[in-house]
Amino acid sequence: MARKIEFDAEDVEFFGDVGSIGSPKLDNMMRGGIPRGFTILCVGEPGAGMDLFCKQFSSVAEDPENTVLISTGESQHEILQLFRRYSWPLDLRVRTIGEEFNRNVLERDLKASKFRLEGFSMADIQKLAQTRFVEVDDTDYLIEMVSQVTNLGPYFRCVVDNLDFFFQRHDDARVVSMIRVMQAHTQLNRGLLMLSISSDTVNKSLEREMVLIADIVFDFEVKMIGTEFETRMVIRKFRNAPENLSVMSYRVTEEEGITPETVERII
Amino acid sequence: MGASDGIELLGKPRGPGSDTMLGTPQYKRDRCVTGVHGLDEILRGGIPYGSTLLVGGTCGSGKTTLAMEFVVNGAAMGEATAYFAATEPSVKLLENVRQFSFFDMDMVDKGLLNVFDMDVTYSWLGLTKATFTMDDVNALVKAITDIVNTIGVTRLVIDSVTTLCYKIPNDQLIRDFLFTLGKTLATQGCTTMLIAEITSVGMSHGGGRSLWSSFGVEEAILDGIMVLGDIDRRGHLLRYLQVIKMRGTDHSRAKYALELTPNGVMLTPMLKWGVDV
Repeated sequence: MARKIEFDAEDVEFFGDVGSIGSPKLDNMMRGGIPRGFTILCVGEPGAGMDLFCKQFSSVAEDPENTVLISTGESQHEILQLFRRYSWPLDLRVRTIGEEFNRNVLERDLKASKFRLEGFSMADIQKLAQTRFVEVDDTDYLIEMVSQVTNLGPYFRCVVDNLDFFFQRHDDARVVSMIRVMQAHTQLNRGLLMLSISSDTVNKSLEREMVLIADIVFDFEVKMIGTEFETRMVIRKFRNAPENLSVMSYRVTEEEGITPETVERII
Repeated sequence: MGASDGIELLGKPRGPGSDTMLGTPQYKRDRCVTGVHGLDEILRGGIPYGSTLLVGGTCGSGKTTLAMEFVVNGAAMGEATAYFAATEPSVKLLENVRQFSFFDMDMVDKGLLNVFDMDVTYSWLGLTKATFTMDDVNALVKAITDIVNTIGVTRLVIDSVTTLCYKIPNDQLIRDFLFTLGKTLATQGCTTMLIAEITSVGMSHGGGRSLWSSFGVEEAILDGIMVLGDIDRRGHLLRYLQVIKMRGTDHSRAKYALELTPNGVMLTPMLKWGVDV
């Protein structure tokens, strides 16, 4: 039997039934925002603005203490710079798993390549002869990420940007199973979870499975029209509100970040 | 222990001016004197320098003690030695070897006896997968020869080469690995003992394959083979050592009783009448 969450009456009133997506125009289009408890999947091409959209979503945190941005591709410094550029609040929690991985694993790989290529120096040999135990970095970043998300309390907001990192390092079925765990936690706690993945990272059947798990699916596309780039966002799934399905062009402004320009309803 | 146990102790612990069981040997300069009681006499003076030996044996037959005594005796003479521990952590190995009088921790501290944990070496070289590729094998040979070259190692032990060879996917690659390693170490004048774990010793019946090694490919490539095993004699397991092959020297091919004493390994001729061989 599912665990029952007791929601504080004040929280229920404060957070309401929907949360902002990060763009007032988009919130209006979606009849107020994203229903609490929803998992949003963003699928996009590189350069289409999906990363920015994810950060924009985290920037409108109602409760920064209960908001986490998990980035697999950027450093703390890069994220901080971007938040400053858009004057977004800096009080949310940011976890840079990609940076941690580079520091722990890639540094070790680099050292191994150096030893294999250049050999051991006298100092290396002395150190090797004195090293009795292998420094094992068996951090399971997938478990770390899921654990961080599932430790968030009611009405949390969380972004995982992006899932490519996990699909490249773990078994597909395991990643999907972990996504289901996070989705269930989000639903139970009336949280808002945004997950992003690059187009073609996974095969079509796996993508379909993820689309089935998600409540809302955004596609980000970038096309070249003449000498101009056109960026488009497609809402291809919106659970219980198919009227929200739409195709829209958007631009990036210094004031609002990603802002829809023209909207075309699919239905 | 005496003849009633099927073993006759003819030798005395080696020391200045001591006689040996095979008469006064004429040690040649090109021999690596092992210092293991009785072994140099069996080998008519020691192991020819630069040889790579396979020391195969069943579990508990004394391979590790023999190999450790071989390197420690070299270190005691001021030689730089190296021991790669693959079957047990070096901490445990050093703790176990402390009980023998031949061992002195000072040798480790002074850098004369360098004990390397094989899993640490693997980790440093990025060899973390269960199976090695050709590149991985080459990287390992390069690392071992690098160590030998840089610190001028004259005695080397890999304990055991069996666990290492389990990571090499086919016989040809094992052959290449042992051949390249042996050749490179020989050119550097390093005398090497490769420890092999075997389940039984001798010639197989029918298949014609010898049981001196783990993979059956090592014997032909390496310069020498010593086997250590057990013989059951009236309910008692007696350890023995036998030199099967040693290039570059005449040697006894008889079985010798191997006893692990507080002073280390002691080899004595085995009387045939008292043992069921």
